[in-house]
Amino acid sequence: MIVQHRMSREPVTVTPDDTLARALELTRAHRIRHLPVVVGDGRVVGLLSDRDIRLAMPSPLSAEDAERTDFLERTPVAAVMTREVVTITGVETIEDAAKRLYQHRIGSLPVVDTRGRLIGILTETDILHTFVQILGGMEPASRIEVVLEDRPGELARAIRIVGEELGVNIGSLVVPSTRFRERKTAILHLATIDPRPAVETLEEAGFTVGWPSLDFDLRQPPPA
Amino acid sequence: MRAALIWDPRVIGYHFRPGHPFNPKRLELSVSLLQELGLLGAETPMVAPRPARDEELQLVHAPAYVEAVKRLSAEDADRSEARQWGLGTEDTPLFRGMHEVTALVVGGTLRAAELVMSGQAKRAFNLAGGLHHAHRAQASGFCIYNDLAVAIAWMQREHGARVLYIDYDAHHGDGVQGLFYRDPEVLTLSLHETGRYLFPGTGFVDELGEAEGYGYSLNVPLEPFTEDDSWLRLYAELLPKVAEAFAPDVIVLQNGCDGHVLDPLTHLRASTRLYEETVRLTVEVAERVCGGRIVATGGGGYSIWRVVPRAWALVWAGLSGQHAPDVIPFSWLERWQGESPELLPERLRDAPDAVAPVPRRGEIAEQNRRTLKSLERTALPLLRGWSMGF
Repeated sequence: MIVQHRMSREPVTVTPDDTLARALELTRAHRIRHLPVVVGDGRVVGLLSDRDIRLAMPSPLSAEDAERTDFLERTPVAAVMTREVVTITGVETIEDAAKRLYQHRIGSLPVVDTRGRLIGILTETDILHTFVQILGGMEPASRIEVVLEDRPGELARAIRIVGEELGVNIGSLVVPSTRFRERKTAILHLATIDPRPAVETLEEAGFTVGWPSLDFDLRQPPPA
Repeated sequence: MRAALIWDPRVIGYHFRPGHPFNPKRLELSVSLLQELGLLGAETPMVAPRPARDEELQLVHAPAYVEAVKRLSAEDADRSEARQWGLGTEDTPLFRGMHEVTALVVGGTLRAAELVMSGQAKRAFNLAGGLHHAHRAQASGFCIYNDLAVAIAWMQREHGARVLYIDYDAHHGDGVQGLFYRDPEVLTLSLHETGRYLFPGTGFVDELGEAEGYGYSLNVPLEPFTEDDSWLRLYAELLPKVAEAFAPDVIVLQNGCDGHVLDPLTHLRASTRLYEETVRLTVEVAERVCGGRIVATGGGGYSIWRVVPRAWALVWAGLSGQHAPDVIPFSWLERWQGESPELLPERLRDAPDAVAPVPRRGEIAEQNRRTLKSLERTALPLLRGWSMGF
């Protein structure tokens, strides 16, 4: 899963000379929050968010509406935009993109080619959508969690029970990484409406199973 | 006639294999209970289904899928292609003659729709129907063909009907929702245990439809351990608003009864009161908005001895406007107790204290209420706005 398969192509952009009024109108018309700022050959020179605009505007407490409108109409994008833009290239992985958004505490990444020209935009929403798919929310399935001791072959043993012994298809499998030598928890989405046989057989084989989750097993009503 | 019960003993051939949880014995048990309770008569008769024609199945299913199901129905079928159609799995294994018997199940719901739309019966109930998980070219969750969707599409084609589809099976009605996701003439409303924990994992409040159909798919995901009071309060609040804004010509009601506390597959905690009250509310609203017309089906229900016959007897009584006596006839108990691995209940309705109150009841009800509010906030303006021509 790489960025260029997940990004939005042909993003809405502005130039440094466009007015803030125009930029604001674009964010509203397209219901977006980030506008890459590009120059003639498509190079990204900045990023403008709806928040940048709001922060730059005169406060409604001290300024009349007319003054605020006037400000929007005469201020160019270049005066407000972020110039130090964090970008990503199309061939980087979705994990790289997620990490970059998280580390810089930002909401979107303009996607550029090797010459810095804009080819798309990747937002938090695109990342979330990808993670929904990774975590298995897209196909009809039942969710269970299985505790895996930290030794080779445990995952294979669990999978063999579900897939080979019971013939249940595994829609998705995630094993979040833990610290060295800690138990891991596998999250499985099983393509079945009735996970009881899988849960029972795994438990008989010595696995600790949560259905749907270890912390919230619904086989028993919750404690008071 | 007031109401028709669609029944043909051959539908018990919809049986995947011994030990499979979708057990057609429950249909026999239910019909026999209706007979013993005296709920079938001249104004409330049994009517035989007819098989659905290929052309009718293809109103919602891909022709290639129908052809594949036919091929895979043969005893000597080449099983290698089964998986791509969602067949030959643990949930929907292949069985001989599955096309024919499923076409008869679909034909039952079509028969119900014919009777209701022609005015011959005000309401009709196809116990064997309710296969709401089947998709356009994919079997899923015990469902091969989607009888509900076929009947809805048929009513659209033959009668130009606007259809309100209501599904209170414990599992999300994903197949029906998906097949009409872009269609503003069919409003799907599903109440079910939240997909966070239960198959098929969909049916969230933000699934509202697409394109022209945006605002015409509604979902109320219920918290695990939801009980009658919270569930019914939500339904009673939402149904009139939706039905009045949408103004359907007919209601299609899927009566899966796997939300009962004794059901082994889900975590909801309804009693039989839920089924009696849901039907009562639905009939009342149908009388107000669409001349009382309801096409009803069965659905899920895996506590086949202790829950399904009672729940569906209450559904049928409500649809057909009859009072169901509370005492289960001895003749019925005598006939079935020997076969039943569990002690059969002697009363049709669960006693008020039959469902032990769940801890954290208030929290669960409160979360459900928030879910409803969030759905109402986003969906009702769409429905009302568009019906007023915005």
